[in-house]
Amino acid sequence: MPERAQILPGTLDLLILKAVSLGPLYGYGILLRIEQISRGALLIEQGALYPALFRLVRQGLLKAHWGTSENNRRTKFYELTSAGRKRLRQEEEGWNRLVAAIASALKAQPEQT
Amino acid sequence: MKFLSSIGSFASALFRRSRFEHDMDEELRAHLRDRARDLERSGLSRAEAERCARLDFGGYQKFKEECRESLGTHFVDTLVQDVRYALRTLRKSPGFTLVAVLTLALGIGANTAIFSLVDTALLHPLPFKNPSRLVMIGEGMPADGYPKIGISPEDFTVYEREQKSFESVGAFDDKYVGLSGGGQPERILAARVSASIFPMLGIQPLLGRTFTPQEDKLGKNVVILSYALWQRRYGASRRVIGKTVVLDRIPYTVIGVMPKRFQFPLRGPRTIVVSGNNEPANVWVPVAFTPEELQCNACYNSSALGRLNAGVTISQAQTEASLLARRIERQYPASVLQAFNNAQLYIWISPLDAEDVGSVRTMLLVLMAAVGMVLLIACSNVATLLLSRASARRREITIRSALGASPGRLARQVLTESIVLALGGGAIGILVARFGTAVLISLAPSNIPLPPDVPLGGSALLFAAAACCLTAIIFGIVPAIQSSAISPQFALQEGGRSGTPGRTRNRLQACFVVAEFALAFVLLIGAGLLLRSFFNRLMTNQGFRPDHVLTMEVPLPALAYPKATAIRGFYEQLAQRASNLPGVRSLGITTVLPLTNDNLTVMKVEGRPGYTPVIRDTWVLGNYFEAMGIPLLNGRYFTPQDRAGSQPVVVISEGTAKKYWPAGDAIGKRLYIYGTPDTATVVGIVGSVSGSQFVTATTPEVYVPYLQVPNVMLEDKRDASARSLALAVRTSTDPQAVALALVAQIHSLDSQLAVGKIRTMGQLVGSSVAGPRFNAFLFGLFACVALFLAALGIYGVLAYATVQRTHEIGIRMALGAQGTEVLRLVLGQGARLALFGLAIGLLIAVGLTRLMASLLFGVGSMDPLTFAVVAIVLVGIGMLACYIPARRATRVDPVSAMRCE
Repeated sequence: MPERAQILPGTLDLLILKAVSLGPLYGYGILLRIEQISRGALLIEQGALYPALFRLVRQGLLKAHWGTSENNRRTKFYELTSAGRKRLRQEEEGWNRLVAAIASALKAQPEQT
Repeated sequence: MKFLSSIGSFASALFRRSRFEHDMDEELRAHLRDRARDLERSGLSRAEAERCARLDFGGYQKFKEECRESLGTHFVDTLVQDVRYALRTLRKSPGFTLVAVLTLALGIGANTAIFSLVDTALLHPLPFKNPSRLVMIGEGMPADGYPKIGISPEDFTVYEREQKSFESVGAFDDKYVGLSGGGQPERILAARVSASIFPMLGIQPLLGRTFTPQEDKLGKNVVILSYALWQRRYGASRRVIGKTVVLDRIPYTVIGVMPKRFQFPLRGPRTIVVSGNNEPANVWVPVAFTPEELQCNACYNSSALGRLNAGVTISQAQTEASLLARRIERQYPASVLQAFNNAQLYIWISPLDAEDVGSVRTMLLVLMAAVGMVLLIACSNVATLLLSRASARRREITIRSALGASPGRLARQVLTESIVLALGGGAIGILVARFGTAVLISLAPSNIPLPPDVPLGGSALLFAAAACCLTAIIFGIVPAIQSSAISPQFALQEGGRSGTPGRTRNRLQACFVVAEFALAFVLLIGAGLLLRSFFNRLMTNQGFRPDHVLTMEVPLPALAYPKATAIRGFYEQLAQRASNLPGVRSLGITTVLPLTNDNLTVMKVEGRPGYTPVIRDTWVLGNYFEAMGIPLLNGRYFTPQDRAGSQPVVVISEGTAKKYWPAGDAIGKRLYIYGTPDTATVVGIVGSVSGSQFVTATTPEVYVPYLQVPNVMLEDKRDASARSLALAVRTSTDPQAVALALVAQIHSLDSQLAVGKIRTMGQLVGSSVAGPRFNAFLFGLFACVALFLAALGIYGVLAYATVQRTHEIGIRMALGAQGTEVLRLVLGQGARLALFGLAIGLLIAVGLTRLMASLLFGVGSMDPLTFAVVAIVLVGIGMLACYIPARRATRVDPVSAMRCE
């Protein structure tokens, strides 16, 4: 089992948006997709997924509808709204900037005088 | 409609809520199921897989709650949540909840009960068409001491003809008549009204019709029945129209029946009649003034009602009336003007709805104020309870605020709790009010002008609801602000060391206790003053001995007894025969019984110029003074020899003697009573007797032997008082037991005679103090409740403060403080609050008691004795309430107190 990293606060939303951007998903499916795309490196408290989903729906970034799953169960599907897509782009950029900044900061060498 | 739609949105919110819960549950459970399925596929047993799925998921309920929160909170949801939370916390402290709810129930209930009385008695518009345009009209001689009296028929006719201010005017009066034929003869109250009255009031009859002007003018014998009489005596038959009923032996044709609720003249707190009768009229007949009545200038025995013309104000009508009064006065014979000492005649006009509620209005408003103070005390009591509780819950609130509850949210939660308490109090309070109004009415004796049924109507319920909300805000706002102002940091620090209590909160509680004591003091002062007035009235020597005296009214109808000889003969015979009945010790007959009514007139005293101010004139027959127990002070009582043909004599009261013959030589002096043929000689002086509520005890009295009253006065068609006499019988046994034999004796003389108002003098005295008794009782009750609540309040605050100071007291005792010193410390704290409250209460009381001066009797509104006693009682009770926590403080064990840290 690879070593798992606790996700940073606030990044769960980003991960959800990313996972859903790849195609409409139901709750458990989102969890699986995140595990899949992070190659199992991120540790998510499974229950925490749902408050985050509800919050994103309320913010209008996701929309939810009830449908039928492959095994014929009533299931709630989530998909990205256009606002969600826009937000995802912003968050991705922001994240990348942050990562780049942190990375460059960490690369800094002691200054030679 | 707005209300309905808000109910609708509330319901749909509740519906959405349950739908949401259901969906959320389904979604989360699907997750667990799918997860367990995957784990099972990876090789775990089913049970193991399900366990792992739940473990991986984390706190199921916690995440559900977070889901709910992340959905955002709808107002209704928060409300439901807050109410649920409030109910839960209140259930956890049943003692506090019970005390708070019951305190509020008492306050709200008492207020609602009194309010429904006030509402029924004072606030409802009069039950007539456009009542604000209706006015009462009457005459007066302000300069001669009669600011407001009735109107004389002759003056009314002139006024009706000359005035231009009114659409219509009408006269009315009422009198008791004998109703006979078709059953036992009975005495009923008949109102005589102008034909214009019914249209003016805008009331249609239930059956038949009302009077035509023609019937009124010609004095036709037609009658309209009241609903009650129609039901009771005529079996509610529609065929009663056209039937004949007999009033005072005269046949009348029934032409109509009035509707159930119709009352005229109005009774109860809005009595509008000069006669002082306070019973609803049973029948109406045309007023049809007789020629005799129309020739009597000074018979101010009628009342008049008018409806103002559109656009005419009361003051314009008054200006016109004053001018007309001058004109009417000029037509008075000189002798009449002289009898009024040439005082100027005045015609007054006042709005019907302001007329004559005077003393009842004061009484009800004073009661309302009193009961309002009780509610304020109840509120501040609950507020102190809430504050104490808030202290105990400080940690809870701190944690909530540390976890992110906003100050507004916290305040709202605390306020919700107050509202839940207030609503609980209100619900029970309405029950209290229902019960309370019933008790109030049964306590109020019949002669107190209260309406017979006071339903707990919509306005009373509305009032209760408003009282609920208001109380919730009053007692809830301070604790709410307090709890929202807690800064988590500070509170946690303070909570860490229980040494120093929150100073602001303690000061607030102290303020509430001071306010309670101030209000309780005011209420106790009011109660004390009313109680003293009541006892003063009770102890007042009325001038007669009320025990063992039976009275009944035996009036003779003019038609059956037209001649003076017949009238005189009947009463003389009755006096002789009834005196011999077993159980009768002495028997007299009189025109006026004490405390009921007065015949007022004026007289000339020999050797003094002009007429005297008003005097009370009573005609008596038989052994009236002995029967009533009026003591002879000088000279002699009347004898059977004082009759027509012998020398005219009078007996005067002590008050009269002192006023007109201050040298003490009244016996043998002569006086002339207005309207009599001769001057009369004073032969005896008796004790003064209290009259009706309309005269002062010092109004001089003169007694005339009935057998010397001239024929013309007995046959006077304008005034039936000379043949409407009352029997007064002193009995050796129970007075009620003799009543039956007396009525039988009367009916053996005339079987058709209706006997009225059989009462003992004891009952008469009782009903004459019924008003003050009612006031004193209710006020006393409220004051006791206030005292109890104030004591409870100071006890609660001190008990709480003492617990908070346990540590400090422990240190003091460890340092050597004695029990008595600790006792003094705590008692001193209580005493400071009580005395401070007392001082404020004193200021308020001094300002307010003046307003109830009209309800007091024989005691000043600043009676020092009452103030002193009340202050001692209040401080005493307060100290007693402080003593319990103080004692507890002395038992503090220093070691354990300090170990508490």
